[in-house]
Amino acid sequence: MKNYKIAWRNLWRNRRRTLITVASVFFAVFFALVMRSLQLGTYDHMFRNAIESYTGYIQIQHEDFWDNKIVDNTFEFTSDLDQDIRSMKNVTGTVPRFESFALASSGTLTKGVLVMGIDPEKEALLSDTRSKLVKYHLTDANIGALKNSNLPETMKKSLDLFKGNFYSSNSSLAVDFNIEDKDSSMINSIFRKHASFENGYISLGEPGALIGSKLALYLNAGIGDTIVLLSQGYHGTTAAGKFRINGIVKLPTPDFDNKIVYLPYNICQELYNAPGMLTSLAISIKDNDDETIEGMVKEIEKEITPPLKVMEWREMNKLMINQMDADSKSGMIMIFILYLVIAFGIFGTVLMMTAERRREFGVLVAIGMQKNKLSVVVTMELIMMGFLGIISGIVASLPVIFYGYSHPIRFHGEMAKMYEDYGMEAVMPFLLPDMYVLWQSLVVAIIVFIALIYPLRKIRKMKVVNSLKA
Amino acid sequence: MKILELKNVNKIYNGSEVHVHAVNDVSLEFREAEFAAIVGPSGSGKTTLLNLIGGLDMPTSGSIIIDGTDLSKLKSSQLIDFRMRNIGFVFQAYNLIPVLTARENVEFIMSLQKWSKRERDERTFELLKAVGLDERADSRPSKLSGGQQQRVAVARALASKPKFVLADEPTANLDSKSATTLLEIMEKLNHEEKITFIFSTHDPRVVKMAHRVITLVDGSVATDEIRE
Repeated sequence: MKNYKIAWRNLWRNRRRTLITVASVFFAVFFALVMRSLQLGTYDHMFRNAIESYTGYIQIQHEDFWDNKIVDNTFEFTSDLDQDIRSMKNVTGTVPRFESFALASSGTLTKGVLVMGIDPEKEALLSDTRSKLVKYHLTDANIGALKNSNLPETMKKSLDLFKGNFYSSNSSLAVDFNIEDKDSSMINSIFRKHASFENGYISLGEPGALIGSKLALYLNAGIGDTIVLLSQGYHGTTAAGKFRINGIVKLPTPDFDNKIVYLPYNICQELYNAPGMLTSLAISIKDNDDETIEGMVKEIEKEITPPLKVMEWREMNKLMINQMDADSKSGMIMIFILYLVIAFGIFGTVLMMTAERRREFGVLVAIGMQKNKLSVVVTMELIMMGFLGIISGIVASLPVIFYGYSHPIRFHGEMAKMYEDYGMEAVMPFLLPDMYVLWQSLVVAIIVFIALIYPLRKIRKMKVVNSLKA
Repeated sequence: MKILELKNVNKIYNGSEVHVHAVNDVSLEFREAEFAAIVGPSGSGKTTLLNLIGGLDMPTSGSIIIDGTDLSKLKSSQLIDFRMRNIGFVFQAYNLIPVLTARENVEFIMSLQKWSKRERDERTFELLKAVGLDERADSRPSKLSGGQQQRVAVARALASKPKFVLADEPTANLDSKSATTLLEIMEKLNHEEKITFIFSTHDPRVVKMAHRVITLVDGSVATDEIRE
């Protein structure tokens, strides 16, 4: 009789208890994976938004610019520097930026804004501003037209919920309205017909502006309106200019969407009286793994001299990283409590199993089974029990994770407002299975192994005569 | 041929206040194919003596020699291995492995000794037939009566062809008919397999069938009667 056969049969001699224990491991793994996937997915989404729409992975700046973002802390952008960086391995291009603050006015409304001077074409390498141009706008009139269209009735009912919303892509529309792939082309064509938004773009040398959709709502400004910018320019000069709004963009990070004004960077240099200067040169790269980025930072550092400085995404998103780190720790504490409860459950089972089978262990050793072999059988029982729980937990969590990845949780109403007040997009996507699946499973496996110590110790210390009397 | 020898064996249990002399200077010899009963009132030391003979417990002093091997000289794992090869056990409460069938219970020790499948099958069939349970070979203990379970336990005890079988009150939990059947089977196997049986018992039927009766009183051998 093979050990594993005995172990398997032992597992089912108290079917109810085994099922309860397997279920406790199952729920621990299931909830730990789903919680972790949601947490890590949200972080990942926030990072991507911040990196892809603002910082990029690597930038060259004036060494004082990050701490003191004034136009005096700019650097001269030369073609030699541009050439040196672009010739590096893994670099796909450079993206020049001139960034400052200004007061923006339209009509009687004024707001502090972030002015971002960009190269409208090169920016496609990084934040791809063009792809963020608003495609659809749910105005009252548009919603009325959509309600009279062939849209499915369920969608018509939810239109009012998203009144005033801007959409820059069909995918964000699909998320809000739960549009299935098979229906997307029909629904998109209806939206194109009844809710499309006519947008323009900007080009180098032409004084036009793109503004964030939330800023547009605040300033009550639309395409063709004029926006006036007032700020302090290079070395204390006055920076003032008026620009036609060529387009409205919808950025995933609400904080940016609420304050961004894009200008062509050479127009921005003129506005701030800083010709030839940049606040940052963002570098677009092919591979963005930590090791490659670290290597590139070192390589770029060799090419530049002070006051230029290389900054990587971690340094530029320190606050966000710290916030996520704190949040991650609180999540880990929750998972730890979950594991603790499960650990006691497993230990309770092991304790009962050992006490119940004390005499049987004694008989087995009395008739000739070595204690080591008996320990192997008991170990197999617990491993099988743990394995069943872990595998079923992983299998059950995968569909939830995949669904949550393709259909992120999107908040509406007050909840969404709360998120946006914190500068975050009101969406919580899941992270696809990664190393965290292995880690969570490993933790449960370790709990099972710790619980094993008790019966194995009991077997090792067992006095056969005493066990036979049990 | 002498297979088991006890020389001045003592077992003293030291409690915090009371010391119990459970086995008191016992010296005995057992030969091949004996059918011996150890009798005596409760607390006379019968079970303790069987535990000592079976190597389940160690004497405070004296030695137990089985087929030339002094049990006190063996390490724990060697002792387990020695028991498996030389001693069969029949317990009062049967103590079969609940998750194994009758056949698997009998085979169990043979598989521990790595017998080939053919050898195991032959021996198991032979023993289950001898105890009259060849048709219940695939039943688990929970599906067998007490008497049937004890017969499987006897077959298991004999499986590895031990030097002797120790049976602690084997009929205590059985009805009269089952007890008689069991005793007849054990006596038959004692003759056929030439294996020594040593019982501790209160049961007069066992005593009546035994060829040798050892009476213990307060841990000492009071009488040792050999019957023809």
